[in-house]
Amino acid sequence: MMCVRAAFLVLLGAAIALPSTDAPLMRRLTHSQYNHTVHDLLGDQTNPASQFPEEDFVNGFKNQISAQSVPPLLAEAYSAAAEKLARNAFRGGDANHLVPCRPRSAGDAACRAQFIRDFGLKAFRRPLVAAEVARYSSLFAAAARGKFLDGAQLVVEAMLQSPNFLFRAEQGGDTRQYDIASRLSYFLWDTMPDAQLFDAAAHGRLATPDDIEKQARRMLADPRARQSIDEFASEWLRFDRILSAVKDRRRYPQFSPELAQSMTEESRRLVQDAVWNDRDFMTIFTAGYGFLNSDLATLYGLPAPSAEFARVDFPADSDRAGVIGQATFLALTSKPGETSPTSRGVFVREQFLCQKVPDPPPGVNSNLPPVTADKPQTNRERMAAHATEQPCAGCHQFIDPIGFGLEKFDAVGARREKLKLVFYNPHDDDDEKKVKTAELDLDAHGAVSGLPAANFSSPKELGMILAARPECQECVVRQLFRYAWGRHELGADRPVILAALARFRDSQFRFKELMISLVSAYALGN
Amino acid sequence: MPSGIKLSRRHLLRGVATAIALPPLEAMFNPNGTLYAAEIKRGAAAARPETRFVLWFNGNGITERYWIPTSTGPDYEMTPCLAPLAPFRNDIHVITGLDNPAARLPGPGNDHHRSMSALVSGSSFTGHGAGAASIDQVIAGKIGGDSRFRSLQLGVTQESFGESIQRNLSWAGRDRALPPEMIPHKLFDRIFGKRDETWVARKRSILDAVQQDSKSLASALGKQDQLRLDEHLSSVRDMERAITMLPPEYAKVGEPEESGDMKDWPRISKLQSDLLAHALVTGQTRVASYMLTKCQGLSRFPWLGYTAARHHDYTHADGKAPGFDGPSGQRIMRDICRWHVEEFAYLVARLKATPEGAGTLLDNCCLLFVHEHAEANSHKNNGLASIVAGHAGNLITGMHSKLTGTVGDLYLTLADNVMGAGLNQFPTATRKLSGIAGA
Repeated sequence: MMCVRAAFLVLLGAAIALPSTDAPLMRRLTHSQYNHTVHDLLGDQTNPASQFPEEDFVNGFKNQISAQSVPPLLAEAYSAAAEKLARNAFRGGDANHLVPCRPRSAGDAACRAQFIRDFGLKAFRRPLVAAEVARYSSLFAAAARGKFLDGAQLVVEAMLQSPNFLFRAEQGGDTRQYDIASRLSYFLWDTMPDAQLFDAAAHGRLATPDDIEKQARRMLADPRARQSIDEFASEWLRFDRILSAVKDRRRYPQFSPELAQSMTEESRRLVQDAVWNDRDFMTIFTAGYGFLNSDLATLYGLPAPSAEFARVDFPADSDRAGVIGQATFLALTSKPGETSPTSRGVFVREQFLCQKVPDPPPGVNSNLPPVTADKPQTNRERMAAHATEQPCAGCHQFIDPIGFGLEKFDAVGARREKLKLVFYNPHDDDDEKKVKTAELDLDAHGAVSGLPAANFSSPKELGMILAARPECQECVVRQLFRYAWGRHELGADRPVILAALARFRDSQFRFKELMISLVSAYALGN
Repeated sequence: MPSGIKLSRRHLLRGVATAIALPPLEAMFNPNGTLYAAEIKRGAAAARPETRFVLWFNGNGITERYWIPTSTGPDYEMTPCLAPLAPFRNDIHVITGLDNPAARLPGPGNDHHRSMSALVSGSSFTGHGAGAASIDQVIAGKIGGDSRFRSLQLGVTQESFGESIQRNLSWAGRDRALPPEMIPHKLFDRIFGKRDETWVARKRSILDAVQQDSKSLASALGKQDQLRLDEHLSSVRDMERAITMLPPEYAKVGEPEESGDMKDWPRISKLQSDLLAHALVTGQTRVASYMLTKCQGLSRFPWLGYTAARHHDYTHADGKAPGFDGPSGQRIMRDICRWHVEEFAYLVARLKATPEGAGTLLDNCCLLFVHEHAEANSHKNNGLASIVAGHAGNLITGMHSKLTGTVGDLYLTLADNVMGAGLNQFPTATRKLSGIAGA
């Protein structure tokens, strides 16, 4: 049984394999990037990718290269979306000014070539080669028998299905500068390069770290940068899990899809506030305030805010602070009826400390003793077997005590002083007499074993421990690395991560400085 | 047959409200009474209709005491979970006892991840997805080439932990998930959507340009990326084939509309089964997978009255839904497993009520119903409970058999002796099982 524990400790140290010499690099536009890109390219407002087959999580994110294939179902979705987008783009003539010249006839070859070069540059994010111009010209000519715009529409529809649009396939050589422009825009903006980036690429002004930093600072001042950070936060903090969560209606009648949406909005705003108001980013773990609407204020037992999602300061004696104290985290790590100290512990280890928690060994009986009306138990009591029995204890001793420290917050994130158990007769739900309840005292002493002086008994105290720990600070860097590079970090990436961490720390944890450090390494790296 | 519109979405959907009532299929036949789809096949003689394979799955597993009959042979008793299949006992073969040994190979993942990868592919979970191509895809690779769609993937419920291995049943290869279409109106559009000749010509010219782009790009990329580009290209070719092999009469099928409760899973499941039956009888595909619920699935069951916890919680008598532990929890599991079988029975009924040739569509189908685990609570990955349904290739039915062997052995037997796929091998398969198909 020691072997399980030993294996876990090795993982805490996180020695990861060396990079392969022939690693896949080509990145498919994520659904989020697809939506943003067609918005910027065509003025589209319909978010067509929201209808595509959902992306799965790998390495904690939805943009990981290893999971980015194009199965037939997705290819068909791309095709259908391209058809609709191209039709919409020319619905009112050329309302979006996609044709840069005034065609003299449907067969105006000069204007046709100009359009193909101009739109092709934006769609493929690099200049077209002569063979491509010829290919799309003949496609255009076949359609534009009557009207120039019919040909243009066909070209748009085709380009939106080309691998040159759907993938960021870097060819290097002459187009290296354009590859860099896309790396910058998709990391920092979650969308295609703008005119200034294309211009910089055309003039070779994306070559040095200074060039990159200059562009990055300009880009971070642009509203589009919010798109990227919002997407990063929504995946890192796993908004998907709370948005699809269900809760036991009898115990949590206030939980609804709208409330779940409000929870994620609160989390999004806390991250946005830290990033865009240049606060110490580690305050997302310690913030003694939240951005609440009236539903959340009710859930938190606070007076209604002055405006929807306005900042509300928590009372000084509140145990609630930071992301750990938010309903998003507290509810998404809980089961429908009750909290799960194990899930909370795993989430903290994996998302905030970047420590991979091993799965239970095969075939182990994971059932805990049932809680009955005759023998009501707290989660801590019920999970005692996790701490004493092998092989469970090898890992659970690192996991469960984190969750125990958060037990005064229930499965939807509301504060509770006692654990209230309700025992229903499952076959006669409406018979009040058959419902038994029990109230138990809660012991909220928790600990993050492996870290020094890491005993706590509230989200606020855990947040302060995490914010001050180098492991957690480095984890923020590593999570952003995975999101930016589209893969897990490898041994060879250590220098990049350490340099970014140093800059992050030296700037008193300004997230923009972290982004600039990482984007420089990413944009100019292999 | 006159050239008027004979098949509309309403026809298709009408069947749902009245349980197993069938919409008319005549519209899919041409004036000679042969299937339009039969004409897709270049010069194919209208001989015996071709065989079809459907891999059917629901997540988590079963509660054995309410699912597995105690006696074997033709006179086995219908258990509470199998009861919905009672009218079809001569169309099914209950097969228990098979092992899923690849689930126990060392490697990453929890029991569900490992069992799922092993179940569908006979190979270990990679940490991301299945370790190899799933059985339906291996079969489709051999026999799907002449159909409009090499294979179709359908799904119903969506609640899961969100990881790739949990959300996908079909895998084109290692880590290459083929997501199921879970929205009926989208599936309808894909199979029966309105098309015309101008549209087809236009699409072909576009896909031609796309394929040329793909070829020029490939030369500039590394080997791994070339492989990934090839995958994209193969999807584009599949799509081109689906477009060009479109039966002409479908140009007249009405545009489907979105309506109704999209989380009413029993309703969605029946809609999907209706569409699958239509796709199969019109010869648009020979291979399909049907993922009723997700691996380690988190469905709730409001129509059964169970809303306090999710399927996975219930399997472990947990979810801290107090009172659901013990015998009452077992009864909940029984009702849930019976619902799974009920939806399977709906598809069986649908196929059996669809005429084909001198008999029914079910006569030419081989359905295989599997779960990632036997007893769900203990994550048991041997002694699996499965059902083979249909009469393709002289399948032996009307039995409960307890067999010794692996699930790979069963796949190999069905693939080669029933579907004529000629695989000769499949991971974990060491032999063909007797008692599955007659001579």
